[in-house]
Order: sequence, then structure tokens, then C-alpha cells
Amino acid sequence: MANYLIRRLIYSLFVIWGAITIIFMVVRVIPGDPAAVMLGSNATQEQIHALNESLGLNEPLFVQYKDYLLNVLRFDFGESFRLGGSAMAHVLERLPFTFTLAFTAILFAIIISFPLGIQAARKPNGLMDKVISFVSLFGQSLPTFWVGIVLILIFSRLLGILPSAGSGSILHLIMPAFTLCLPFIGMIVRLVRSGILEELRQGYVQTARSKGLKQNFILYIHVLRNALIPVVTVLGLLLGEFIGSAIIIEVVFSWPGLGRLLINSILYRDYAVVQAAIAIIAGIYIILNLIVDILYGYIDPRVRMEES
Amino acid sequence: MKKVNLLFLFLCIFVLIASGCAGISSDSGTSTDGASEGKTSKEQKMTVASDVGIISLDPYGSAHGEPSTILAATQIYDTLVIKDGDTFTPSLAKEWKQPDDNTWVFTLRDDVTFHDGSKLTAKDVKASLDQLVQRKESPLTVLWAQLDSVEATDDTTVTIKTKTPLGNMLYNLTLLFITPADQATKDDFFRKPIGSGPFKVVSFQPEQDLVLSANKDYWNGAPKLDSVTVRNIPETAARMTAIETGEIDATWTIPADQINQLKQNKDIKIVDTPSYFYYFNWFNSSQKPFDDVRVRQAMWYAIDTKAIVNDLFGDTAEVMKAPIPSSVFGFSEQTPYEYNPEKAKQLLAEAGYPNGFETRMIWSKGSGPQIFELQKALASYWDKIGVKIIPDQLERAEWIEKLTALDWNMDLQTNAVISGDADYTLGRLYISQANRNGYKNEQLDDLLVRAKQSTDSAQRAQLYDQANKIIWDEAVGIFPLQLKQIYAVRSNIKGLEASPSGAPSFHQVSID
Repeated sequence: MANYLIRRLIYSLFVIWGAITIIFMVVRVIPGDPAAVMLGSNATQEQIHALNESLGLNEPLFVQYKDYLLNVLRFDFGESFRLGGSAMAHVLERLPFTFTLAFTAILFAIIISFPLGIQAARKPNGLMDKVISFVSLFGQSLPTFWVGIVLILIFSRLLGILPSAGSGSILHLIMPAFTLCLPFIGMIVRLVRSGILEELRQGYVQTARSKGLKQNFILYIHVLRNALIPVVTVLGLLLGEFIGSAIIIEVVFSWPGLGRLLINSILYRDYAVVQAAIAIIAGIYIILNLIVDILYGYIDPRVRMEES
Repeated sequence: MKKVNLLFLFLCIFVLIASGCAGISSDSGTSTDGASEGKTSKEQKMTVASDVGIISLDPYGSAHGEPSTILAATQIYDTLVIKDGDTFTPSLAKEWKQPDDNTWVFTLRDDVTFHDGSKLTAKDVKASLDQLVQRKESPLTVLWAQLDSVEATDDTTVTIKTKTPLGNMLYNLTLLFITPADQATKDDFFRKPIGSGPFKVVSFQPEQDLVLSANKDYWNGAPKLDSVTVRNIPETAARMTAIETGEIDATWTIPADQINQLKQNKDIKIVDTPSYFYYFNWFNSSQKPFDDVRVRQAMWYAIDTKAIVNDLFGDTAEVMKAPIPSSVFGFSEQTPYEYNPEKAKQLLAEAGYPNGFETRMIWSKGSGPQIFELQKALASYWDKIGVKIIPDQLERAEWIEKLTALDWNMDLQTNAVISGDADYTLGRLYISQANRNGYKNEQLDDLLVRAKQSTDSAQRAQLYDQANKIIWDEAVGIFPLQLKQIYAVRSNIKGLEASPSGAPSFHQVSID
């Protein structure tokens, strides 16, 4: 296990290095430079050139890259042009909000889609199954920004029971988290349903039935656990997705997450923050993948055996 | 049983992590959630929201010039003078005089302290101006290009010397916010800065919340409010909902299509004033076909400005009458170009384009309200006289790069005369040397330089009068409309007045 972890760790460092190298190049290759954006549309080219000079952006790309890597090794991701202060500090300040939203969305997804998936699997192609698949397809098809605005109009303006924007309490979390997970509920429902149906065909279920075990007992105790493997994979990746790309929801609900910071930083060519955010997001993906792999082992002992 | 526990554990992990994180955010968020509490208690708590978040509280950095930063700075810091219509009222400076054209002597109040209790002296003013001038990333540093020196003669006397007379000195000083000399250069100072203004910073998260509390010892009288929270709600539907439900007490930047609904709400009043913000469409006069004044004028005769403003902007804008907004010093009303497509075609024919031509138009999506619709409307009018527009919507950073490199035929954008003085835009954008739009005119250069260097406001007004006329008649650009500052305010809020710069002071605001 220790060997395995060390191997994964080294591999992870390479991935992060690759991610920040690519993003370092990409943000500098795209047109538009930070000095021009900072000085605004009334500035002259001389002013822009002078500012680029003092920011060190007139140096050859290779020199900038070398300096940057040396600083990153000391965990110094540079200063934010736009917001001032350490770029990494700004990213880490947003991270808890992003985590909160992503975990809550995953939780909502589980609470909503597990029962639906199980119900759908009880009588495949029955009425309940069809209704569930229709509703979840419907949820998947609605554009996120529209769902968000409609929720605000209903629950804030009309009913007045939820705050329309911002963060600060559990109530603030409900609408954004629900909107975030809605498009994925259909997918998880189908995964749970097909996983259960597949398992129900297995021999051990027949054995269990012939032992006289109750249907519910078989379903919840034996089958569900085995049907979980693909679901856990998807949930793990989904969590990464929620962390990296909740941007639309963050804007609609004024949620101060990482996505909004990242997009604004890209628009303003705030290189240091973009690079810091990408490094963190890459790190999160790596950790999530690791957790998913370890969870496999707990859910399915055969995976654990193969590892050792 | 073990198997049941596992599933249970799996869910529990998520619940725990999620609730744990929620705890983190609610800790930092409790102080920001003052809106609903403010209603019930007698405490004077006001919550306002804008569509653009406050990026920074640093009044010398790259965000200085952003209305959101000036708004925050107005509450936290003081300036030497305050602009009041076309005159200036004393603030930190009790009085000022000009021994000669290049020298200004300001006498400061001696009863002003910073939020930490230390005294505000001439040294702090000197350090603040020095800092602004030295910082290359501030868009406003250029206002002080003519500065020679600033000296703290004694504790209450500041002497500012300029290389040439500086006609817009007092306007510039309304944007010079004073911070304590010994602290303002520290790295983290602007995360929670102190100033001498009516409000103290309690907490600040960039682009989220700024929480302010009253400075009870303010030299000009303690503010009536106990606290102010400035929130950032980018989504219009959410922001309009928040003002309707009373979650926030005031908001600004109201889209034209939302005003009527807000007016129907008895608990909300709409306050507005002409602003420093306006639209223009420049022609690149350095290249064909726009090097010919007849072509530029034809473009203007071809559009029905009144119809565009009425249909698209309604109550949120007014037809422009000069190349600068009416609330700016140096404004002088010009003869409007009538809507006359026949005359436009005739002018095009005279210039040698009887069948029109094709040209590219650049703009940036976020530049102003309804910019896309405005562009469409303009293009369809021009289409009628045979001018085909190739639309080129760019991302802001790319747009600025092309704009400053003069790599365009036509450019549509908003602009703001932030200092309230014509020099801020006319003196910078229309002078041949700057070469911002390819238009070169020595007579105009002369007028603009003389207006900048004159300290006699009657003479300046007269010089700008001529400059306005040249820019307008030569159709250096089309100036279709100036935007209004529109505030939606809950009716129990008293004393919140719209300001043309978008930075009203909350000093006199109270809640009934």
C-alpha cells in the first residue's frame, strides 16, 4: 500500500507540473495582455509597455517560465495583478465555498437519485420506471442558468422562503446545490438502476431468494453494494466537475466560489491566479481519483486483492 | 450488519464534510447577512448590492478608476476637496490658494484622525500623492503627468508644484484618497485598510462583500448608519428579486426593461441623475474610407439617434449633445445631426462611395448595457445607405489590445469621464500625439493643451467650447447617448442621492 501511494504521489506531481506548464503557456499565447486590461481603454501604448516592463512580462517566455517554476517549488504562485496580494491566498479563500457547494450538490444527488434508481429497478419498464426516466431526462435537458433563475423567482420572489443570492447559511446553499446536481441526477438514476438490474440476474441473488430472504433485504444488503462500483466512479469524477465548473451557478446565485474567480482572472489576464487555481483544481482531481480507487477496495474486496 | 454500516458510513462522510464546510462559510458569512436583521431591530444597518464586485480597496492600484473601487474609497477615505456641481467644497483642505500658476498651497484641517486614532497630517497627503504617481498600474496616474513636486511644508500645509499650469488640479484631487503614510505601503494594508472617512472597514472579500461600520469620531459628524454592507450580485434577476423582497436596501445599474416593474412596487423608489458614462462609436480616421470627413458625417446622418435611444434605452439614457456628457465640466451643447439618409447617401457619393463600402466594427461584450443591441441597430441603419458592417465582438482583453494598436475600422464602446473634467477624456483621447483614433488636427491639439494648462475656469470653458465643436462637426466619432445613474432604493432609506460618478457617499444616509 505504501509503495502504491508513493508511486501515485510521484505520478501526481508530474500531472500538476504538466497542468501548470500548459496553462502557463496558454494564458500567455492568447491575445490580450494584463497591462492593457489593468490600465483600461484610455491608456496609451507607451503606458502599457512601461507597465509590462515593470511586471516582468517583457522578459523572454523561457526566463519567465524558469522564474515561475522556481517560485512554485517554494509554493509561491506569485502576486495577483488584479486583486493584489498572493494569488494562492485568493484561491484558497474561495476553496471552502467551492467545496461546500460541491459536497452539498453530491449529497443532494445521492439523496435524490438513489431512491429513484432503486424504485425504477424494482419493476423495470413499469409505470414508475417510465415516470422516473422521463422526469430525470427532463431535469437533464433544462439549461442550468434558466433553472437557477426560475428557482430564484419561485422561492425568493414569490414564496420568499429562500435568500436570492449570496452565501452565509444553509438556506443560501439549497438552490445552488440543487441546480448544480439537477442535470446529473438522471445519469446517476440510470447507473443505479442498470447496476441493480445486472446484479439481480446474478446467481447469488437466486441463492439468496431460495434461502427465503425478503426482497428488500436482498436489494439493500446484497445487491446495492455490488451495484455501487460504477456509481462511486461517476460520483468521484462528478465532484471534480462540480469543483472546477460550477461557474454558471456561482454567477446566478452570487456564490463566491473558485469558478467565478477563475473566469474573471482569465478575462483580466491575471496570470498568477489562473495558474494557482489550475494547480489546485488539478490537485483536487488527483486526490479524488485516489479516494475513488481506495473506496473501490472497500466496496469490492476483489479490487483490493489485485492491488496487493 | 457490517454491510449496512458501510453504506451508512459512506453517506455519513459526505454529510459530515458538507456540513463541516458549510460551517466554514457561515462563520465568515454571518456578519454579511445583515439585511433581514436590520429590518427588525432599531440598528441602522444598510445593505446595498451592485452587479460588479469591488475588486480592491487600493486607491492607487489598477482598480482605481473602477466605479466600485471609487464607491468604497468614498466611504473609507477622505479627499482634499469634494466636487459639488461645478464648484468645489472643502473637505480635508480648509482652504487653498495659488501664489502663482504652477503652485497650489492647501491648508488642511487639524482635527482629522485616521480610524486608528493617529492624526492626519500634510505628510500623509504627500505620501498618498507620491504613491499614486509612482504606481504604474493605476489608470489615473496619467492625471498627474505634469506634477513637479509635492511638499509637506508643515503639519497642515501642503504645497503642490506642477511643471506647467494644471487646470484640472481640483478635479484630480477629488480622486486622490488619503491613507496613512506609515502604513499604506505595507503588503496587506489594503485587505483591511484604514482611512479617515465616515466608515471603517470591518471585513473585505474581493468581489464578494465589503462590510463597513460607522466611524463615530468622524470629523464631519458621525454617520447616521451603524453599518453598511456592499454585496456583489452579478445576476440581474437575483438582484432585482433581492431589492423587491427587501433583502437589500439599494442597488444600481438597473436594466431598461426592469425599471417599470420596480416602479410598480410601492416600497421602492427610483433615483436617477445624468452620469459621467457615455457611448461613442469612433472611426479610424487614419485609413480609407474614414479619412474623409464627409464619410464620417454621412455615417452620423444615416442613424436615427433619438429612435435608438428611446427604443433601446428608454429611461436609462439620454441623447448626447456633445462629445462629453452634460454633467462634465467643459460640456458645450452642439447642433444635433438630423436623421437624413438622403443627405448621407449624397455625402457618400461626393466622397467617392456612391455604392457604399464594407467595414469592420469592433466592440467588447461587457463594455456597456445593451451594447450588442446598439451595435445591431447602428449596423441596420448603415446598411440602408449601403455601408455593410462586419461585426467583430471581442473579449475585453483582446479588444483593448486591438483598440490601442489602432487595429480597427470602427470601435463601439462606453467611456467615463471619471474626474468630471473634460481633460480626462478630450485631453487624452483626441490629442494627435496620443493617436487613439487616427484623427489629427493641430488646432484641436492647441485648444486642448491650452485648456489643460489654464487655471482660469472661464477661459477653460471657452476653449473646451471650441474643442467640443471641432470634434462634433468633424465627426471624429458618433456620440449617440449618455447613460444615467439609476438607483433602486427601498423607500425607508433616506438621504441616498445618485451621483454622476456612481460613487454616492453614505455619510448622510439613514433608515426610517
